[in-house]
Amino acid sequence: MIELQDLIAPTAFNPMIYWVLALLGVPMISFISNFFTKGKAPVWAALLLLINTLISVYLAFNYWYGEPISIKGTWFSVGDTTFGYSLYLDRLALIMTVLVNGISFLVHVFSVEYMRTDPRKARYFSYLGLFTFSMLGIILFHNLLVMFMFWELVGLSSFLLIGFWFEKKSASLAANKAFIINRIGDVGLLSGLMILFAQFGTFDLEALKALMVFSEIEDGNWVTHFTNNGQQVMNSLDGRWLSAAGIALFCGAVGKSAQFPLQVWLPDAMEGPTPVSALIHAATMVAAGVFLLARVFVLLDAQALEVVAAVGAATAFMAAFAALSQFDIKKVLAYSTISQLGYMVMAMGVGAYSAGLFHLITHAFFKGGLFLTAGIIIHQLHQLESDKIKFNSQDLRVMGGLSKYMPITFLCFLICALALAGLPGFSGFLSKDAILLNATAWAGQKGGGYYIIPVLGYITVLFTAIYIFRLVFLVFTREFRLPKIVGESGIASKLKEGNWLLIAPAIILAILSVSIVFGANVKAENTWFMQFFSVPIYLVPEAYAAFSLVDLTEETIKGLHSWVAIVSIGLAAIGLIVSYFLYRPISKKALVFQDAPEPRGPLGRLSLNHWYQDDLYEKVIAKFIVLQSKSIAWFDEKVIDGIVDGFAKIHVVFAHIVRWFDKYIIDGFVHLTVFASGRVGQATRSIQSGNVQTYILSALVMLVLLLLWLVF
Amino acid sequence: MPVEHLIILGAILFCVGLIVVVTRKNAIAVLIGIELMLNAANINFVVFSQFDPERLQGQVFSLFIITVAAAEAAVALAIILKVYHYFKTADLDKINELRG
Repeated sequence: MIELQDLIAPTAFNPMIYWVLALLGVPMISFISNFFTKGKAPVWAALLLLINTLISVYLAFNYWYGEPISIKGTWFSVGDTTFGYSLYLDRLALIMTVLVNGISFLVHVFSVEYMRTDPRKARYFSYLGLFTFSMLGIILFHNLLVMFMFWELVGLSSFLLIGFWFEKKSASLAANKAFIINRIGDVGLLSGLMILFAQFGTFDLEALKALMVFSEIEDGNWVTHFTNNGQQVMNSLDGRWLSAAGIALFCGAVGKSAQFPLQVWLPDAMEGPTPVSALIHAATMVAAGVFLLARVFVLLDAQALEVVAAVGAATAFMAAFAALSQFDIKKVLAYSTISQLGYMVMAMGVGAYSAGLFHLITHAFFKGGLFLTAGIIIHQLHQLESDKIKFNSQDLRVMGGLSKYMPITFLCFLICALALAGLPGFSGFLSKDAILLNATAWAGQKGGGYYIIPVLGYITVLFTAIYIFRLVFLVFTREFRLPKIVGESGIASKLKEGNWLLIAPAIILAILSVSIVFGANVKAENTWFMQFFSVPIYLVPEAYAAFSLVDLTEETIKGLHSWVAIVSIGLAAIGLIVSYFLYRPISKKALVFQDAPEPRGPLGRLSLNHWYQDDLYEKVIAKFIVLQSKSIAWFDEKVIDGIVDGFAKIHVVFAHIVRWFDKYIIDGFVHLTVFASGRVGQATRSIQSGNVQTYILSALVMLVLLLLWLVF
Repeated sequence: MPVEHLIILGAILFCVGLIVVVTRKNAIAVLIGIELMLNAANINFVVFSQFDPERLQGQVFSLFIITVAAAEAAVALAIILKVYHYFKTADLDKINELRG
């Protein structure tokens, strides 16, 4: 029998905790101190993040090969239940700290230039610190309750950063939307936490995993036996709760990682400053969901994983489709992020744990790079704006031919785009290939309708190539369209390459998007990443466990691998060619793109409006909620208030009666007493007239009367 | 002279004195009324003295009364004088300090 208290017992003091506290503390210092630094904030914050990056790199190099470091402690106890905290430094945590700190540092450097003229830049850098801090908290802590707190902090800091330019109505609305939609997902996550707590009585992930091994399915019930403080505990729930727990935990990831049906907040989140978008999309917010899935991966059962895979595939496809026809450069990238996150989630769902994480890392680099280069373009175009010349510096229609003006930016963008499209030689190819391979193998085992998931993945490859090269062609080739639109030809000469603060981070991310970083291999399995991260075994009771990819023979994989690679490269190439024919410099579409109308066909409109999901929410769910609120308000006003009013009225009437009684009966007695004593007083005082003669007279009368009485 | 007449005279005198005491407003007049009443008592004492020829106690007592009345008149007049000084009037209706 396993003892719960042993599993969550505080560990002996470990000096590693100083390093962990340093990792968490440095961004926190950045958060707090930047309220006071004013003009020096950018440099100071970037310096702090550089220190933190160095710490995380040092830790990664030192502890990479060791056993995972686990530090546990007691946080507080309520009755018999102890709530602990636990820190866990395994390879996943180490690589994620490097990733988050690294990207955050690059974003800080980029922001130094990007936010140079912003009056509130100290606050901006402060929020960036908070964002990094909360994300590192999720990564380092290994207790679901503590992770949930940092999870919420990530939500808060994303809210603050998306709505950073809150003077813009759209920005504050987008921040609200992101926050509220994330809350919906968090309700799910919280329910998942509660189910696990009800079953196992702890939030500690290591303990949960250990206990999950000992839980079993008996007659369709999910039963766990363990001892707590020596006492036997037997928790039993219906077996479906096991799947429910997994799906509920996944709900949190659906919100944070922008999966269908909660992905609508992410395109709107583009209202924030572009470096923030890079941070959100590459390393922090959206990665949190996938990271959580990776942490609870072994606790998910077959049904939950199927839901995960289906949602991931649907999201990947839907978002890639929506990205095809956007006019806003950041919107395209936003939908691209959703789509790539769909890949990661789908990978988790099919059991390709390491492939999903691999894609998380590669995607962080190339998407970060894409966002930063888009930021450079937006920033440089924005410089051209003046009081006379107004245009939307994010609109594809004003761009074009920028490779002439910003060759380095173009090169970085191109490398990242190639990585995103998944062409060989770039990191995206490796991870996407691994995901597709695993998904195909998974579908092959399950057979039948399950093939829809890898098929959606393949279609997404095609769409990805089309939309990203559409961007490359429209932004960088042909000629600069802005002068024609604003009618001022001199404006083109003013457009310059961004300075080194903007370009250096983009270059670094572009370099990291080349596949050689992960090993000179064309096969994902041979990269160092996949070597170090093996797929863990599911710990859920066998009856509910999903089919594990670990069980596949090497021959099956090998047989699949070549044709999966061919299909995915082929599809990416087709996408590139389609995109070339549609948007190449001399194509009809590209020639008149400055006045390109919004697509009119049903498919085009579907794509532009992202499957009308926003409208659906607004017209159906929001309306329904408003209607419901109105009816509740009516009920409140008429019925509840009516009852309250009625009571009040009865009270008033009663009070009137009491008042009358008081006034006339009680007061009457008092008045009567007063009146009587007054009268008596009056009567007696009239005798005491002060006139001596009257006294004598009355004495005389009395005397006479006395005499008369005595005599007779 | 029969005793009855004398007693009636005394009674009349007493009544007149009493009426004066009760009705008059001037303090001096009230004092005079009191003297009248005292003298009515004296008449009674003197009248009944004839039934005690040996010791004449009634007459002696009336002499005491006259003496005491003189003393009383002196004290009373002094008081009235002080009252007059204090209230600037001797009208008893206006001197009602005892009023409750």
